Amino acid sequence: MTAVALNEPVAHQAGGGLMRRLNIVTALIGGVTFGTVGWLIAHLLLQDGDHGSDQVVVIMLCSWAVGFMVGIGAFNGPINWLLGRDQTHEDELFLAGKDQGIGRYFRFTTDHKVVGIQYLIVTMVLFAVGGTLAMLIRTNLISPHSNFLSAQTYNALVGLHGLIMIIATIIMITGPFGNFIMPIMIGARDMAFPRLNALSLWLIVAAIPVLLSAAFLGGIPTGWVGYAPLANQAPPGMDSYSVTIIIFAISSAIAGANITTTVLTMRARGMSWNRTPIFVYGTIASVGLAIPAFPMFMASQVLLQVDRTQGGNFFVASGGGSPWLYSNLFWLMGHPEVYVILIPALAALMEITPVFARKPLFSFNAAVISIAGIVGLSVMVWAHHMYAAGWAPDLNGPFMLTTEMISVPTGLLFLVILGTLWRGRVWTTLPMMATYAMLWNFIIGGVTGIYLSDVPADYALHGSMFVTAHFHYTLMGAGLTGAIGALSYWFPKMTGRMLARGPALISFWLVQIGFNVTFMGMFAVGLAGQPRRVVTYAHLFATGNFVSTIGAYTIGIGMLFLLYGVISSWRGGEIAPANPWGAKTLEWTVPNPIPLENFLVMPVVTADAYGYGEPELPPVEPAVDPDRVPAHAGLAAEESL
Amino acid sequence: MTAIPAAVGLAEPHHEDVDTIGRRWRTGVLLLILADVAFVVSLIFSYFYLRGLNTEGSWVPAGAKTATIWVGWAIAAVLVLSAVAYRWGLAGIRAGKTRQLVIGMALASVVMLVAAVFQVVQLASFGFKPDANAYASSVYTIAGANLFHLLLTLFLGAGLWNRSRLGRYTATSFWQVEILASWFAWVAVAALGGALATSFIASPNHLSG
Amino acid sequence: MSTEPVSTRAAADARRLEIRNIVGIWLGMTVLLVIFSLWVPARLMGPPASPTMRAVEQTMTIFSVLASPVAALVWAIALYSLLRWRSRSGIQPAEDGPPLRTHGPSTISWTVTSVILCVVLLIWGLAEMTTVSSAATAANPLVVNVTGQQWLWTFSYPDQGDVESDQLYLPVNRPVVFHVISKDVIHSFWVVQMGIKIDANPGQVTKTEVTPDKIGVFDVRCAELCGLRHADMETSAHVLSASDFAAWITVNGGHT
Ligand code: HEA
Ligand code: HEA
Ligand code: CUA
Ligand SMILES: [Cu+2]
Repeated sequence: MTAVALNEPVAHQAGGGLMRRLNIVTALIGGVTFGTVGWLIAHLLLQDGDHGSDQVVVIMLCSWAVGFMVGIGAFNGPINWLLGRDQTHEDELFLAGKDQGIGRYFRFTTDHKVVGIQYLIVTMVLFAVGGTLAMLIRTNLISPHSNFLSAQTYNALVGLHGLIMIIATIIMITGPFGNFIMPIMIGARDMAFPRLNALSLWLIVAAIPVLLSAAFLGGIPTGWVGYAPLANQAPPGMDSYSVTIIIFAISSAIAGANITTTVLTMRARGMSWNRTPIFVYGTIASVGLAIPAFPMFMASQVLLQVDRTQGGNFFVASGGGSPWLYSNLFWLMGHPEVYVILIPALAALMEITPVFARKPLFSFNAAVISIAGIVGLSVMVWAHHMYAAGWAPDLNGPFMLTTEMISVPTGLLFLVILGTLWRGRVWTTLPMMATYAMLWNFIIGGVTGIYLSDVPADYALHGSMFVTAHFHYTLMGAGLTGAIGALSYWFPKMTGRMLARGPALISFWLVQIGFNVTFMGMFAVGLAGQPRRVVTYAHLFATGNFVSTIGAYTIGIGMLFLLYGVISSWRGGEIAPANPWGAKTLEWTVPNPIPLENFLVMPVVTADAYGYGEPELPPVEPAVDPDRVPAHAGLAAEESL
Repeated sequence: MTAIPAAVGLAEPHHEDVDTIGRRWRTGVLLLILADVAFVVSLIFSYFYLRGLNTEGSWVPAGAKTATIWVGWAIAAVLVLSAVAYRWGLAGIRAGKTRQLVIGMALASVVMLVAAVFQVVQLASFGFKPDANAYASSVYTIAGANLFHLLLTLFLGAGLWNRSRLGRYTATSFWQVEILASWFAWVAVAALGGALATSFIASPNHLSG
Repeated sequence: MSTEPVSTRAAADARRLEIRNIVGIWLGMTVLLVIFSLWVPARLMGPPASPTMRAVEQTMTIFSVLASPVAALVWAIALYSLLRWRSRSGIQPAEDGPPLRTHGPSTISWTVTSVILCVVLLIWGLAEMTTVSSAATAANPLVVNVTGQQWLWTFSYPDQGDVESDQLYLPVNRPVVFHVISKDVIHSFWVVQMGIKIDANPGQVTKTEVTPDKIGVFDVRCAELCGLRHADMETSAHVLSASDFAAWITVNGGHT
């Protein structure tokens, strides 16, 4: 890991106070201690009631999370504030991770670049777990009655796979790149609220063991949607689900407020809205959409916990409750959420395409308007997941209208990318290959979404593997593919090293071919009538499933190549020049490793970032003091290109 | 993107002026309030949705106990009072009167505490349990969420009072007080919303069930 | 599709040739995709057992046909850019591409076309919705009460003396209305080859309708995860001639 701040080895008085002693180890100690104490107390007091075991589990998981946050030092700031002790400059520098080497990655560090790397690691860990679960799922489905997994395990793993993957994809762009790259891209020294930034990250870290604890508490046998009243019956793994979602919702509200504020108030001088890079729009659209969306999900889990731990009746028909309440709350979040995932992925690819087509982004205005249109429409389509629920048959027509309308702004984003490619000088690097893969996959994902938006067709296809294939084409074919593109594009800036082309190239082909094989097979069995979330299936579907499983193994192997490429390049790859792609956004003007506060001299922006092929504007002045650039990287390397 | 070094810069890298920081926090706090609005609205939506469906006629079955409506309004009224006290303190510091700020923050917090105690009393004395029916679950949840609001706000109130007592706010730098005013106002509004919702008890739908 | 001044005649010709090639690829791909659309989706869905399923399969075919030129256009341009506009050096291209910022006509025609497509899809869908729900307003529908519970289906015939069965029996060519409810969690009542599906919710009756038009045995599956044995929650739908159906009712103690 590079990006170490090498400047100013001047002696300074120690700041940080208590924070100096806190890190991930104390956090784990805090979490385990609180969790154990919480469990003991709850166990002694509550064991006997009807809902005792759920109460105990919820209290234990919440105590863990609180203890973890205490141990990492998340509460020091608020308590110091209460006591009127404000931070000194030294405290701030300590918190920003100054001169702490690798240790700062294991602390409540506020530097946005550290937080970005932390998010990247968290995302990769989640993908690795979710991907492993996918392999188990596919192995079980290799034949109609494989008996590889029991029905109970299978159901539990499907829910866990879905939820882990969804959480990972929600944070996979706005976490690593929204935090590391975006502030530099807009010419800021850090995020608007560095402490909240660290808070949002560590909340997710606290939530991961909670989520994984589900595996030991009976799993999440409800699918990732957690539909009630099945969720009312489910084992305590469901409590892990609820607590995870509550923590995650808080984290994403904080991250959303932080990122949005950063973009609204901290853009460099001269960076008017029409000079703001499209990736920045994608980022705030995503986190901005998440701000109202996730609290609704959180509310659904609060209600579920009232049912589970207090015997409430929100979803119990005999007590006047209704499962439709849950599904409405869920999908009110659930549909915006798919665009929370998609928009930043597409925006990253729209940022990448001009660089490698060596042309301006085609119709910037159309791109911005489309993103706004998608955000606006995406809160009005949720009931297309509930056409067959029977909750309001008369509304199916109107929801079909809004759902199909969303293809207009989404389609316009395709035009933006195609227009950018038009007569470009296409440089087929790894990030660019991701763009092409997305163009292929997302057309399929989008068009199959249109089939599903048609009410009678959805009556036939809802709950079948066709839906599963549709959303893998969108989530993975467009979303994850975009994220992999973003990773290979920004890898040199984030790690100071180039991503080796060999393993990444092998990975690209294995993953993309395997992916299409897997989910084409799944479309076929879905059309033929195979339901989702089944541990066994009719012989009719045997061939399609076998093909899917082979495809999935191919993806798995491909992902291992990617993982190898990322780890080996990170540790010992070729040193990257400051601007290996000849790109024009601000993050490429800072040297590698990036100084602690990014810009030693604040940049002033005089044009947008897409002036490829246009007459040269005044030359780019390095926004850096040459004395402070370490010898092995930075501008010298840039010239060698 | 063409970048030219700004004239500002090295001289003062991190010490931005108070107004800039204040403006930034205002945006951030408003966005966080927006998230909380979505949460509270979801709870109120749940109340009305279940009341409208009246599944199996069990929203409030005949003869089931219901909450005394005025209690919710009383708590909300106390919260409005707290927000008013807060405003008064804020007006004080705007006029440079730090003493008025201290008193205002103390008053706002104490009144908030009264509301929290009221809220606990209400939760303890509904006369029914959350497992009685969907109405009971909803009322408990709305009241519980309100209590959670109040505890959080008490922390903020205590901090503001302590900090103004210690002289952390001056006539030229009091943006925290300014910004948190919107949070105090929102807490009162949320309580009013809850009180209003829970004033409509009987379901208009007698058909199903 | 460019705003730069066209300098020479040769360049203009080259551009025209480019467009012609792209259109060629586009048309070729469209033809392939249309053939695929006409053959594959409906075939995979199997022979329909009701006008509803027939309408759905028609929809899948029509939508695929309509999507073909859209997908083909995107892929044709992408493919062409890889074939012809790619820089083969493997390093940063020496010169930039043309600074094409925007192009009104193509943006507008793209948007207008997709709006029109959208409207066509919507009108198709609305018309189709009235077709598939026509059984509900038919004169003399057969009413079947469907109850889902973990993990089996129960069918009862209220107008035939409450005959009960764990398999579904239906007379051919008579509109059927299903009243669906659940005893526990959400299930989803799905008659695969008839293309109908509606959730079985606890506490609320939902309705769906169909007119089976083929004699045979079809699949009833549960389409909503409902716990441990969701995968096994399936049974058969037997569509019989009117007289066979009447006989079945009578054998089971009902009356017609
Ligand atoms: C990133 C994620 C993502 C994205 C982008 C989308 C995009 C879309 N989705 Fe998808 N969807 C999911 C993730 C996603 N979806 C998930 C996770 C589920 C299932 C959840 C679960 O049940 O577990 C789901 C389920 C789902 C359903 C419910 C299925 C069911 O359970 O019965 C429906 C129904 O309408 C639907 C529709 C659509 C539509 C219309 C789009 C559109 O936005 C697509 C728009 C794009 C295009 C159409 C292509 C490009 C357009 C052009 C080139 C212009 C010209 C075209 C036209 C005018 C048509 N989706
Ligand atoms: C983004 C989301 C996402 C992703 C990527 C995947 C990836 C995969 N999914 Fe999954 N899936 C879901 C979301 C996702 N899935 C959801 C929401 C459900 C529904 C659950 C439910 O029904 O409730 C589901 C359900 C689901 C099922 C249906 C189960 C059933 O209904 O019975 C199946 C079956 O084959 C399946 C298979 C796979 C396979 C083989 C992969 C493979 O592609 C996996 C390959 C491995 C990886 C992708 C991980 C490796 C990546 C890295 C190591 C790092 C890269 C790092 C960066 C980019 C930073 N998935
Ligand atoms: Cu019943 Cu699945
Ligand atoms: Cu959706």
